[in-house]
Amino acid sequence: MSVTDQRAPGVRISDLSVVYRTQAGELPAVRGVDLELMPGTITGVVGESGSGKSTLALSMLNAVQPPGRISSGSVEIDGLGDVVALRGDDLRKTRGRHVGYVFQAAQNSLNPLKTIGKQLLDLGRSHDVDDLPGLVKEARSLLDRMGLDGARVLDSYQHELSGGMRQRVGIMLALVLNAHVVVLDEPTTALDMITQATILRIIREVHEERGLTTLVITHDLGVVAEIADRLAVMYGGRLVEQGPTREVLGAPRHPYTRGLLQAIPRLVGDIDEARALPGRPPTLSTVPPDGCVFRERCAVRMDVCETGEPPVLTIGPRVVACHAAGDGESQKETVTTGPTRGEEQA
Amino acid sequence: MITGKGITKTFRQRGGMLGAREVPALRGVDFSMEKGGAVSFIGESGCGKTTLGRILAGLESYDSGEITIDGVPMSSLSHRQRQSHFRRIQLIHQDPYSALNPARTIHQTLDAPLTLRAKQTGRSRSWMDERAEELLGLVGLDPGYVLPRYPHQLSGGMRQRVVIARALTVDPEMLVADEATSMIDVSLRLGILALLKDLRDRLGVSVLFITHDVATARYIGLDGELYVIYRGQVVERGPVESVISDPVHPYTQSLLSAIPVLHGLEVPGAERVTPTEAIDPNRKDTGCLFAPRCPFRTDRCEAETPVLGHDGSTVQEHACFHPRSRSVVATPAVRS
Repeated sequence: MSVTDQRAPGVRISDLSVVYRTQAGELPAVRGVDLELMPGTITGVVGESGSGKSTLALSMLNAVQPPGRISSGSVEIDGLGDVVALRGDDLRKTRGRHVGYVFQAAQNSLNPLKTIGKQLLDLGRSHDVDDLPGLVKEARSLLDRMGLDGARVLDSYQHELSGGMRQRVGIMLALVLNAHVVVLDEPTTALDMITQATILRIIREVHEERGLTTLVITHDLGVVAEIADRLAVMYGGRLVEQGPTREVLGAPRHPYTRGLLQAIPRLVGDIDEARALPGRPPTLSTVPPDGCVFRERCAVRMDVCETGEPPVLTIGPRVVACHAAGDGESQKETVTTGPTRGEEQA
Repeated sequence: MITGKGITKTFRQRGGMLGAREVPALRGVDFSMEKGGAVSFIGESGCGKTTLGRILAGLESYDSGEITIDGVPMSSLSHRQRQSHFRRIQLIHQDPYSALNPARTIHQTLDAPLTLRAKQTGRSRSWMDERAEELLGLVGLDPGYVLPRYPHQLSGGMRQRVVIARALTVDPEMLVADEATSMIDVSLRLGILALLKDLRDRLGVSVLFITHDVATARYIGLDGELYVIYRGQVVERGPVESVISDPVHPYTQSLLSAIPVLHGLEVPGAERVTPTEAIDPNRKDTGCLFAPRCPFRTDRCEAETPVLGHDGSTVQEHACFHPRSRSVVATPAVRS
């Protein structure tokens, strides 16, 4: 396999912006996102619909489809370079070999007319794998590892498999070409609680055994809380807060993160502590072009939020973009106003 | 008051080379709902919770058993009479996108059931308009904004509120909310739940809440009851708080153990239970239905069938030969 070494690669997303062309002009779905995926870690990106999280995930493969396009920024993967600059065959080869992708509703992304094994062979051929029997063997051992009967699954059609089984097939297809960067988009949506717990456990174990760098995209804070080392929160195309999962959940700094956590009913304690967030998330056309994207729903909104871009505060391992986050805090270490490079490129 | 007794339902799958296959969805379920009460069904998909909800809403037939609404057994009535009873039970299902006619404005959508209602009660056109505005206000929407609009112009959360307003047009006794928030954005979910809770308080509507998210069931009704359903059978039933804080059936414990822990805020329960294997729908149904997946099964579980009931040690009823309390639910982390 052509991966440079067996160490998990790091990924640096810098100043990434993605726009969609609409009748109202080009509207930003992702704006100036900086995110580093440390080698060998699981990063969870949380956001509601329209937050730009899936668009961000597609950018990892340079797979944003028209009318969308990556308008600025880069996605650097160790041993591969900038994915955004790749074109044509190079790009096609990258997908699958270097970056594995488990699509949202993997249940529905399989071909209903072909057995899983046939689809596996198609994947192998399109990536010029010489040793097809070896590929099948690898697929079987991956499926066995995830608690399935590999041989039987490869002989099955998708309708013969349950949701949890299909999700595991999706993970197998993402890993079988030995990719070491893996993106999982909503890996457990539409699965039952117990199946979800199983899939999350499997993702964590396979991640560790194979030395992966993993990105999980989800709307469910619980999913991220369960498996991610680092947590990044997106809102209206912006990354508003990121940091080690436990720290962010234990002491959220952005008002949106706080609101989101408060809106989750819990199993113990005073149930009336759960509070709904007022208002609703912005869509592509209602995201305010200036100032803070969250201000409409924010409890600690100030005048400066209307016009001023929230400063990006780096506090130890944590990053938060909010005018109010630094208030009265002595821990403030560095304040940068944005990404350091590529800021002005069109 | 709405009760169900011994409700069974078997789906028959026709066709295929092996001929018909029978899939039991409900295996003798008892149910009761006080006026203004809250009952939640939890369980995995395929456990029968949706089927039971649909049967109670009069949308699905059942093979045996009896449903009684305010003391009137439904089997004693003609189809027509039954319908007018079941109209007082309204279903709100999970997809507000497909529940509304895309070619009708919200005004038109609300008009249809209100016309019927106005005819029944001999009221006028102006009453209908007032009532439409009143109901939209009740579900937290601005009538002036919503009435002239089409569903596609509203967000998912607003659409679900419209669906709830439409259900209220017939002055229902009970709302059956089947995963009513699962397609709504996370930050808006609690608003819908709070609305259902509020309707209980203000209108005395009972809410039957069908979900796989136990915490939302707790939010809807702390004073309510929780039914844990496994393969068409109620395996544990009782007051929400006692089932959550002191579950004794290993299946309930598995469900509660599977809820993601918010590390940093919570500490996982010390005795989390993981079921041993996935459901095999083709297995013979002898003994306890959960036994094949139960880490604590004994020979007795394979041979005999446990029956739902009290054993005196817990507030709730359970169907298990070896009930034991285990701490499976996450507890709040101590803040440093």
